[in-house]
Amino acid sequence: MKALSFDGSGIEYFKIWIVNVLLTILTLGLYHPWAKVRNNRYFYANSTLDGRNFEYHATGKQLFVGYLIAMALFITYVIINQISPTGSLILVAILFLAIPWLILRSMIFNMRMTSFSNVHFDFSGTLGRAYINFFAYPIALYLGLVLITIAMTMSISVGGVLAALLALVLALGMITFLIFALAFIKKKNTEYFMDHSQYGQGEFKTDVSIKEFMMISLKTTGVAILVMLITGIVVGVGFYATVGADSLMLFGGAEQDPELITEKIKSLMPVLPIFYLGVIIASIFIMAYSTTLNRNYVYANTRLDENVTFSSTLKVLPLAWILITNFIAIIMSLGFAFPWAKVRAARIMLENTQVNAEKGFDDYLMQKQNQTSSLGEQIGDAFDVDVGIGF
Amino acid sequence: MIYGKWYAKGSSAQSDAELQITDDTFVLKVKDGISYSALLHTLEVGSRLGNVARKITLEDGSVFATQDNNAIDLAFKKQLRGKGFMHSLESRMHWVLVALALTIISSIVFFKWGVPWASEKIAHALPHETNQLIASNTLEFLDKYIFEESMIPEKQMQKIRMHFKSKVVPLGSSNDEIRYKLHFRLWKDGDLNIPNALALPSGDIIVTDKFVQLCENQQEMDAVLLHEMGHIEHRHTLEMVIESTFVTVAVMMIAGDSNGVADMGVGLGSLLVSSNYSRGHESEADQYAFKHMLLAKLDPVAFSNIMNRITDYMQMPSGTTIKQKDNEAGTEVLDYISSHPSTKQRVEIARQYSECFHKGLTTCEIIEPAGSTLTLK
Repeated sequence: MKALSFDGSGIEYFKIWIVNVLLTILTLGLYHPWAKVRNNRYFYANSTLDGRNFEYHATGKQLFVGYLIAMALFITYVIINQISPTGSLILVAILFLAIPWLILRSMIFNMRMTSFSNVHFDFSGTLGRAYINFFAYPIALYLGLVLITIAMTMSISVGGVLAALLALVLALGMITFLIFALAFIKKKNTEYFMDHSQYGQGEFKTDVSIKEFMMISLKTTGVAILVMLITGIVVGVGFYATVGADSLMLFGGAEQDPELITEKIKSLMPVLPIFYLGVIIASIFIMAYSTTLNRNYVYANTRLDENVTFSSTLKVLPLAWILITNFIAIIMSLGFAFPWAKVRAARIMLENTQVNAEKGFDDYLMQKQNQTSSLGEQIGDAFDVDVGIGF
Repeated sequence: MIYGKWYAKGSSAQSDAELQITDDTFVLKVKDGISYSALLHTLEVGSRLGNVARKITLEDGSVFATQDNNAIDLAFKKQLRGKGFMHSLESRMHWVLVALALTIISSIVFFKWGVPWASEKIAHALPHETNQLIASNTLEFLDKYIFEESMIPEKQMQKIRMHFKSKVVPLGSSNDEIRYKLHFRLWKDGDLNIPNALALPSGDIIVTDKFVQLCENQQEMDAVLLHEMGHIEHRHTLEMVIESTFVTVAVMMIAGDSNGVADMGVGLGSLLVSSNYSRGHESEADQYAFKHMLLAKLDPVAFSNIMNRITDYMQMPSGTTIKQKDNEAGTEVLDYISSHPSTKQRVEIARQYSECFHKGLTTCEIIEPAGSTLTLK
């Protein structure tokens, strides 16, 4: 077992990043594709395993046309969104229809533009499967929820003990269905992304189960409830200590006295950001928990041919710590700590990725690949479509 | 001697190799393998990025990769001429500091002046039909979800409309394309009757029943109607659409590669920027009203009178007036996210215009009150 490592540094990336940002502003965004290439090249090439590194191969020129079209579409979307509610509904529907295609094109483009140790990756997923995974399943999930909700409303409106009991059963059924359906979709998506990925002639294969994904989401829900409860208590105590509970009580009788209401609202102002901060930190923690569990599970059950196995040694607390301090640093520095934060995040992810290659990495050969257009990837980027398993 | 790794074309197999360069020829020796020797210019060298492994492609498509970036830069000086520009910016601390300063300055310039300036130019370059397009269905929408039918007697409506058409519109209108039309509506929020006036870019101005009721004289109503006409003449709705398009696209680029959590900070930033533009528009419409009132020999104090009355009414649901306490910590924070300048600032500017009015002037120099640094224009 060998861990990946990240060889870049925050200060080195800061220099690259700030030049990118400046050129992007000065060219009113036209430089963006070249900036993206430099960013990606930096992060890929600094990701190394045992003296071999990843590489990003796309060029600014290659991304440029796709980028211009994507921007034109995005600007049209933003304008129509503001002036016509019906028009924006139609656009959202079109976007929803296009998402599977966007995901597929992005996967193909990104994989082909990535190499490790001089051999490129590839993606062989089909459009049909993409539509089943990213269109049919989500719609089926939605329809299922609607059906159960209708049944529930009907049984409540009938009234009586039996109907109430039925409604309760349906409510439990809804939760079970939701957890099951989400785990099912997660399994299908993981398989879609992993099983169609190739490295040279090598093929990735994943073996994940619905049951395990259900366990993970149950655990995450439990942790989420607990964390939110604790946050509530901590914020409540902090609130009591700073503003005092009596001011809360007084709200009850304050309606008659508008001056008092204004006073109360003013005394609340400094506490509100702290409350929000608490909720945000709690959400980041929950996200770190979910990411860690999912990632560790998927990596442990994925292999490349019979040769290579993976494992993720990520732990919840260190990841949460990195993400929370990153968030605070970015906000406090008005965004200028972003490069440092990104390097830290990359480092913790890579250093917790273990690769076990019994026969080494010398036997992989580059396969013939056709030229690919960057259009789908650029549109997906502009509209912030989630691509890949996300860790 | 430059040490590195060699890969055959399309192969992941890695062999140690060393590159020796003399003048314009090179010798590349692969450990336990072939040895290349040819002219230097047959090699293809990639541009440098930080200290990541440098890739050199040979004529047969095989690759030599090395960490020794400095040696490569030195040996391939001639070939790399012009290619190292980005790296020389990125690697010199003083250029990075210049870039940092320029980035901060140009983002401020971009959001503070660039976006409003460009939006104004674009808004006024577009034909008036654009205004009608963005206003289409808006009144129907408001009627369906927000407004109720007005309770004002038909006769009073007629009178106000007549006055508006014959006295107010000729004062301000500079564009024959805009067809001004006055609408009366009842706007209720729970038990509260909301006093307000709104302008649609098409030239439709809507006044609510409570607003008409709160106006104590004709001049007060004219002042507000002129303010609304200011929005229409300056094409503020269109400007707002263009401004938010700029902001949204800029935000997409900034937040594009950040994670979801940092997006919240970006969202807050764009809210602040948008409310800033909106306050700029309000001040501009105020000034429009004041200037035209001076020209028409109307006392701009009427505007502050009605503004104060509306503010008092909204703060005191029961209807009795209370003293507004302004300028305390809480309200100051709220000022930054408010879409309108504070009544206090607006009243102060009205007061200055009113002074000019009493001196018999038709133009007026304004000293911006403290705190109006919040507004952009």
